[in-house]
Amino acid sequence: MIAYLVTIAILVCVAALVGLALNLQWGQAGLVNFGVVGFVAIGAYAAALLTPQVGWLPAMIAAGALSAALSAGLALLSIRLEENYLAIVTLGFGEVVRLVILNEGWLTNGALGIPDIPRPFASLGESIGGDAVFIVFALGLLAIVFLALEGMARSPFGRALRAIRDDATVTSALGKNVFLLRVKAFAVGGAVMGVAGALHAYYLTYIDPSQFTPIVTAYAFMAVIAGGRGSNVGLLVGAGSIMALLEGTRFLKDVIPVIDGVQLSALRLGLIGAGIVLLLILRPQGLVPEPKRRAADVLPKAGGGR
Amino acid sequence: MTDAKLVMNRRSVVAGLGALPVAAALKTPALAQAAGDVPLGLVLPFSGATGAYGPAMKQAAELVVSQVNGAGGILGGRNVRLFIEDSETSATASVAASKKLLEVNKVELVGGFWGSPEALAAKPVILAANKVQMLSCAANAVTEGETKGLIFRLQAKSSQWGPAGAKVMQKIGAKKVTILAQQNPFIVAMVEPFKAEMKKLGGEVMDVVMYNPDQASYRAEVEKAFGPEPDAVFVLPLLTDMVSISKEIFRGGFTSKVVSLGTGADAEGKFLQAVGPEVAEGIYHLQPSPPIDSPSYARFVKQMGAPEGTVFLFAGNAWDQICITALAMEHAKTQEAAVWAKSIREVCNPPGEEVDDIVEALKMVRDGKKINFNGAGCTCDFDEKGDSLNRSFYVQLIKGGKNTPFGVVS
Repeated sequence: MIAYLVTIAILVCVAALVGLALNLQWGQAGLVNFGVVGFVAIGAYAAALLTPQVGWLPAMIAAGALSAALSAGLALLSIRLEENYLAIVTLGFGEVVRLVILNEGWLTNGALGIPDIPRPFASLGESIGGDAVFIVFALGLLAIVFLALEGMARSPFGRALRAIRDDATVTSALGKNVFLLRVKAFAVGGAVMGVAGALHAYYLTYIDPSQFTPIVTAYAFMAVIAGGRGSNVGLLVGAGSIMALLEGTRFLKDVIPVIDGVQLSALRLGLIGAGIVLLLILRPQGLVPEPKRRAADVLPKAGGGR
Repeated sequence: MTDAKLVMNRRSVVAGLGALPVAAALKTPALAQAAGDVPLGLVLPFSGATGAYGPAMKQAAELVVSQVNGAGGILGGRNVRLFIEDSETSATASVAASKKLLEVNKVELVGGFWGSPEALAAKPVILAANKVQMLSCAANAVTEGETKGLIFRLQAKSSQWGPAGAKVMQKIGAKKVTILAQQNPFIVAMVEPFKAEMKKLGGEVMDVVMYNPDQASYRAEVEKAFGPEPDAVFVLPLLTDMVSISKEIFRGGFTSKVVSLGTGADAEGKFLQAVGPEVAEGIYHLQPSPPIDSPSYARFVKQMGAPEGTVFLFAGNAWDQICITALAMEHAKTQEAAVWAKSIREVCNPPGEEVDDIVEALKMVRDGKKINFNGAGCTCDFDEKGDSLNRSFYVQLIKGGKNTPFGVVS
């Protein structure tokens, strides 16, 4: 049982990293990115191809950097677009990445995928159990990314992003370079997605194009919506809840004998959909809403305290 | 502020209550095992692109389990208990499903595995737990590399499908052919072996047209493959795309013969149901042959509730996976996977008395006889890598809205 929960926890870590990145781009900066899965795939493939050559740390950095560079590039091309059009461009980008990976067999091994991807700390894993080492690695990575993004959210950069989300014209009138800020938000988000992809590749040790379908993007949006748009803590809760719902429903058929596997598989996705709809009706601000940050909290107090 | 806090509290209470049944569920399997059941697991596709193939496999596996348990179980009267998880046609979901089966249900076998990506992703997890993985998928890579002697494939390998296709081409007199193939690991791996065999038989492959799964239209690819008017086109699809492609071929009025795979142009009868007799007319298709003429296979088809003569490809694999496991456990007198895996060839490969009924086979093993079990999907003989031996392919021609036997190639 413990080992199963560890597996789930590792998958939550990957989902949470992807979600945190989307939460920066969409939750805080208001930029819709439907191409999340494309950046995750780029990270995963970069890590899978580079790790045997240069080791895991440089490979992981390269995965993040490559994903960030492409993300920034895409942003430069398309970020002036209105929200809906940006959504279409990014959706297209995600599909393009998957099709390139599927068809450029010389580099990516095409549909056959890449097996036997070496894991970080594999030798350590042999002595005390592979998953035990990996969960520490995954949690550590999540903690670092979470702290960095949370710091960013509290910094002037984060405040400017939220200002752009709420009203770009006003922010621009205040002298902020809206365009550059948006590109930066996209690049940072892309980097985190790339790192999440690398973590996914290291955990599964086998990747192929069928793992990078738009459902990954959908789960990321679910996590952000369920957790509370703009709130990093909420995102962690959201990603955990979505995975708990997905995996928890597996057990329904073990307890309720009338439901068999075929019906359950249809029911599960229905249940998740119903859950999201209910959540949006009952708690549209998410499980842990974005904290209201007031000007008074950051500005020096005029009256010398309360 | 206080309001928000209250809501949070109520919510966490509700969430906690909601988690209770889950917590209870976690206990059940462990209890079941204490009662002496032998837990076996299957990861089958019920949703996603290959969801159509799972239900028949589940039905077959449950059928054999009820027969085994009805005849007194295995290992001195213990019942076999089956746990089945949805692969969602996803490698990631299959890893989680395998882990659940291994860690929560404590299964000795993780079988099923219709798709190669699912099997490849779950392989390290199952091997790390020292349990047996049985496959119904074709990509060569699964039995390559480290297998610990714990992986068994009930399906033909991709590299066996290709040459069989070339022999069908020879049989129908097709010299100049093109290939129209889906980009997926099962199919990509059969293209090169097919080309090599065609060359050996004096034929020529003029063009290879690949397409992506889940395309909205296949017109461009069909035009490209059929355009040069080859003698025949080797169409390598799965079910959903073959339905669209065959309609496209029909609409285009192309005259080249069509040789396809049972995975797409039969799919246990689903293809004919989907496109109707006119569109399907004249399509040849091949698949690894189950023992079509044996009485046990006829009985299997009847028990599955399918029309006589149905060629089951994957359901037979699921049936065999459970049979082989039960027999090997009985032979090894233990449910310990690492031990009974070594017994598999003892009960499956020749020499030995041939038997195809599971209840009878179990009795013979108990009596200490050396048996050679033949299954519903194949003869169940394995080489040292765990791949199926003696794979012959059964070729059918669709005529007048029916699959008619055309021959056997090996």
